Amino acid sequence: MCGIVGYVGERNAAPIIVEGLKCLEYRGYDSFGLAVADGTATDGGGKLTVVKKQGRISDAGSDVSLACGNIGIGHTRWATHGVPSDVNAHPHTDCTGDIAVVHNGIIENYAELKKTLIAEGHVFKSETDTEVIAHLLEKFRNAAAEKGLSGIEKVDFAVKNLMDTLEGSFALLILIRGFNGLIAIKRFSPLVLGIGDDELFASSDMTPILEHTQKILFLEDNDYAYLMPDGIRLFGYPSAKTVERDVKTVDWDVESAKKGGYEYFMEKEIFEQPAVFVNSFRQKIDDGAVSVLKKASSITVVACGSSYHAGLIFRYLMEKYCKIPVRVEIASEFLNFTTAKGTVVIAVTQSGETADTLAALRHAKANGCPVFAVTNVLGSSVTRIADYVLYTRAGPEISVAATKSFIAQCAVLLRIVSIIGKGIFEKELFEIYPVLEETLLFDPADASAVCKDAENIFYVGRGVYYPISLEGALKMKEITYIHAEGCAAGELKHGPFSLLTPKTPVVAVCTKDDAYPVMISNIKEMKARGAPVIAIGSGGDADLKEIADIFIPLPRSKNICEVISATIILQMIAYNTAVLLGRDVDKPRNLAKSVTVI
Amino acid sequence: MQAVILAGGEGQRVRPLTHSQPKVMIPVANRPILDYVIESVEKCGINDIIVVAGYRKEQVIRYLNDLDTGVSVVVQKKQLGVFDALRCAKDLIKGDFLLIPGDNYIDSESLSRLKAERNAMLTAEHPYPSNYGVVSVSGGMVKGISEKPALAESMTVSTGCFSLTPDIFNYPATCMIPDIITDMAKNGRPIRAVPANRWHDAIYAWDLLKMNRMALEMVKPSISGNVSKSASITGHVSIGIGTVISPYAVVSGDVVIGENSYIGPHTCIMPGTSIGSRVRVEPFTYVENSILMDDSSVGSHCRITDSVIAKGAKLGSNVAVEPSYSAVEVDGHFFKAFFGSVVGDNSTVAPFTVLKHCVIGNSSAVENGRIIEGFLPDGSIVK
Repeated sequence: MCGIVGYVGERNAAPIIVEGLKCLEYRGYDSFGLAVADGTATDGGGKLTVVKKQGRISDAGSDVSLACGNIGIGHTRWATHGVPSDVNAHPHTDCTGDIAVVHNGIIENYAELKKTLIAEGHVFKSETDTEVIAHLLEKFRNAAAEKGLSGIEKVDFAVKNLMDTLEGSFALLILIRGFNGLIAIKRFSPLVLGIGDDELFASSDMTPILEHTQKILFLEDNDYAYLMPDGIRLFGYPSAKTVERDVKTVDWDVESAKKGGYEYFMEKEIFEQPAVFVNSFRQKIDDGAVSVLKKASSITVVACGSSYHAGLIFRYLMEKYCKIPVRVEIASEFLNFTTAKGTVVIAVTQSGETADTLAALRHAKANGCPVFAVTNVLGSSVTRIADYVLYTRAGPEISVAATKSFIAQCAVLLRIVSIIGKGIFEKELFEIYPVLEETLLFDPADASAVCKDAENIFYVGRGVYYPISLEGALKMKEITYIHAEGCAAGELKHGPFSLLTPKTPVVAVCTKDDAYPVMISNIKEMKARGAPVIAIGSGGDADLKEIADIFIPLPRSKNICEVISATIILQMIAYNTAVLLGRDVDKPRNLAKSVTVI
Repeated sequence: MQAVILAGGEGQRVRPLTHSQPKVMIPVANRPILDYVIESVEKCGINDIIVVAGYRKEQVIRYLNDLDTGVSVVVQKKQLGVFDALRCAKDLIKGDFLLIPGDNYIDSESLSRLKAERNAMLTAEHPYPSNYGVVSVSGGMVKGISEKPALAESMTVSTGCFSLTPDIFNYPATCMIPDIITDMAKNGRPIRAVPANRWHDAIYAWDLLKMNRMALEMVKPSISGNVSKSASITGHVSIGIGTVISPYAVVSGDVVIGENSYIGPHTCIMPGTSIGSRVRVEPFTYVENSILMDDSSVGSHCRITDSVIAKGAKLGSNVAVEPSYSAVEVDGHFFKAFFGSVVGDNSTVAPFTVLKHCVIGNSSAVENGRIIEGFLPDGSIVK
C-alpha cells in the first residue's frame, strides 16, 4: 500500500509530483522519493535526478522540488519489504542509474529473481522487492541491444519480458534515460491516467490528478502504456496490441478533497454524513441486481475493518425484517470456508482495492456465486470482479479512520434490506436528514473527558447495537490508541466482566427497542462493579439518565434512524478524545487507508 | 484588496432560529445570508476572502467548502466581539481590507464605493437606530459612534462595514471597534462616512420575512422537478430538482422552492414564500409570505402566513396562523411587530392549533389543538 504519481508535460515535473504525493499520503507515509528527467535534452543528456527520504512528504523541505526536468515519477511509501529508510524509499534504480522505478504492490517471486540477478553481477542497494524490477529492465535492455534492437523496440522488448517475469501485484511507473516519456504498467494494483492539455498524469488514485484535469483513463489489469509528450500509447499484455480504454470525465471536486477550515479531515467527513447518507440511500439500484438479491436463498458479506461492521448491521436487520439468513465473514478468513450455491456474496470495501476482500470475492466467484460489490471508488479493482456494483456516495475519504464511508455503506446495505423487505424503511429513512443534522450538534466534551484518561474502554450493546459497539470501539482504539473493546452486552458476564473497575469506562448504547429492559439491567450490573457508564439512549429516557454517569440523548426519531445517530455519536466521542490527547487524527500510527496487501 | 467577513457570532436576538446554526447561515430565499454577502464582495472585485467562523463553526465551514470559489477560514474560539474576531484573521491580512458583517445584506455597489476609500465606514439611515452603533457625521466625516444608545442622537447607524488599514492592529486586543473608530476620528485619522445603497439587517426572527421578500426579487426563475400539467405557476418562481408540484397547486411568485420537496394537490403557494428542500406541504394548504426551512412539513387544510417555520418542524393538519401587529416583549422592552408565528427547529404542532402572533422554541411540542400566543421557550410541551 503505497502511492505513486507520474507526470509528462511541459512544466517542471518535481513540484507537481510533490503536490500529488501529498494527496496520496493517506496510502502510506513512512518515506517518499521522486525521479525526474529532462526529456528535451538530446541524447547523452536527460540524466535522471533521484531524491528520496525517510519521513513524510508533507514534512519535506523545499529542496525536493528543485530537481529539474519535465518528466517525473514519485512515490510515497508504506513499508512491506525492508524497513522505512532513505535507501529503501522509492524510486529504485538499476546499476547504471539510467532506469528509475516506482512501484505499488508486491513482487511475489522477488527473492529468486534477486538471487539470479546477483549471480549475474547486479549490485543491490536496498532490501525492497521493487529493486529487482530496475535490474530486470537493465538486463532486458542489454539483451535487446545485443539482438540489435533500438529505440522504442528496445523498450517494447524489455517491458514484455518484464511482465513475463514478474509475479504478484504491481502498478509501475518507469523512467528510462533517453526515452522521452514514462512507462506505466498495471497488474492487480490501482493505477489511473489523467489527460490534460499537452500533459499527462499517472497516479494510484484520482485525487492528485483532479487538480489538473477531469479527464481520467482507467487502466485494466495487464495494460501498459507509454506516456509521451505527444500522447498516450496503450497496449494489452500479452498481445502487445493497441487497446482502447474509455476516458471518463470525473466531476469529483478537488476542493472536496481538501479540509477547508476543519481541523482534521475526520471532522470534515463526520459533518458530511447527513448528505452522504441520504445520497447513498436514495440512489437507484439496477433492476437486474434487485432480482438477483430477491432470489437469494442466503447472503454472505465479506469485508474487513469498519466495512465488516457495516456487514454485521446488515445481518441483524436483514434477518429480522426479511428472514433471509446472512453470514458475515472477515475477508482474510473467508478462504477457509465454503459457500453454498444460491448464496449471493456481497463484498464491502471503501477503496475497492482491499486485497483480502478482492481475494475473497474471486474465491466466491470461482464457486459460482453471484457477487456484488459495495464500494466508494469508481473503476476500482473490485468493480471489475463483481457482477453488480452498488456505489456508496461518500466522495473521497482522506482520514484513515472510516466515518462517512461507513455511514454510506450502512445506507446502501439498508437500502438493500428496504428493497427486499418491500420498502420497510423507506419512509423512516427519507426523514433521516434533520435527525442526523441534530445529532451533529452533540457536544462530546463530557464523554471525552472520561475516556481520555482511561486505559481500557468497553463498548456494549445488544442486537443491532452490538456491531455499532464494535465500530465505536474500533474508532476509539484506532485514533486515540486507547484499548477499546466492543462486546455484546450479554457476553460481558462470560468473561470481560472481571476487567471492570472504576477505571474502565463503559459506553453503553441502549435505545428503547426490544432489548431495552435487559440492557437496563446489564447497565445496572456494570454500575455495581463501579465502572463509569456513558449511556447513549433515546431522547427523554429519564430512567437511563438516572442510572448513567453521563447520559447522551439521541434526537427523538424512529428506531432505525437512532441506529445511524448512535454511530455518529460514537465517532464524535472518539474524534474528540483523540484531539484532546493530541493524536494525529487523520493518520494514526501504523495504519494506512487502503490495505492492498494480504 | 482583501475582505474579512465576520460569521462567528450566534445572533442571539434571532433565536430560536440559531439553535443549529449561526445567524449567517439562516436561509432567506433558500440561500444563507452569508451567501449574499460573499456574492456582493466578489462582485465588487475582491477575490481574497477570509471568513471568521465561531459559533457552530462546523456548519459554516461545511457550507464554505461547497462554494466554487475558495475562501480562507479562521476560527474565533470564543465570541469576544468584533475586534477580537478581526484579530483572528490578522495573520492572513496583507494590506488594506474591508471588514464586513456576514449576517446583513449589503449590495456590491456600496462595497465598491467603500473600497475606493481608505479608513471609511458604510452608514445607513434606520428608523430604530438604538439597536445599532449610532454615528455622528459632520462634513462627510465620522465624529464618533455610540453603541446601542438608549436615546439616539441621529438616525444614522453603522452598517458594520469598514474599509481599514492593517495598523488597526496596533490597538490593544481589549479594544472595541466603536471606541477605536472614535479614537481614530479624534486623533487625526479621519474616517469617511459612506452612505450605503441597500443594506438590510434582520434583528429578530420575524424581520427575516422582509429580507426574504427582498431576496426573492433577485432569484432567477427556473423550473426543474416534476410539475403537474394542471398546476398553475405564475410570476417569478424557482423550483429545484426532484420537487413535485401536484395537480391543481397554485404557485404564484415571487416564490422559491428547493429540492426534493412535495407540494400537494390544491395547495396555494403565494408571493413572498421560500420553501426549502425535502419539505412537505399537504393538500389544500395555503402558504403566503413565509419561510418553510429544510425538512419542515405542513399538514393539509392549513393556513400559514407571515411565518418562519424552522428546520424539521412539523405542523399537523388544519393549523391556522393569525398574524397581527401587536406588542412583543424582548429583554424587558416592549415594542410592536407584525408577524404570524415563528416555529423553532424540530418542533411539532398538533392539528387544529391556532398560532396567534407567537414564537415557539426549538424541540417543543403543542400536543393538542388550542390557541398559542406569546413566547414558548425551547423544549416546551403544551398539553
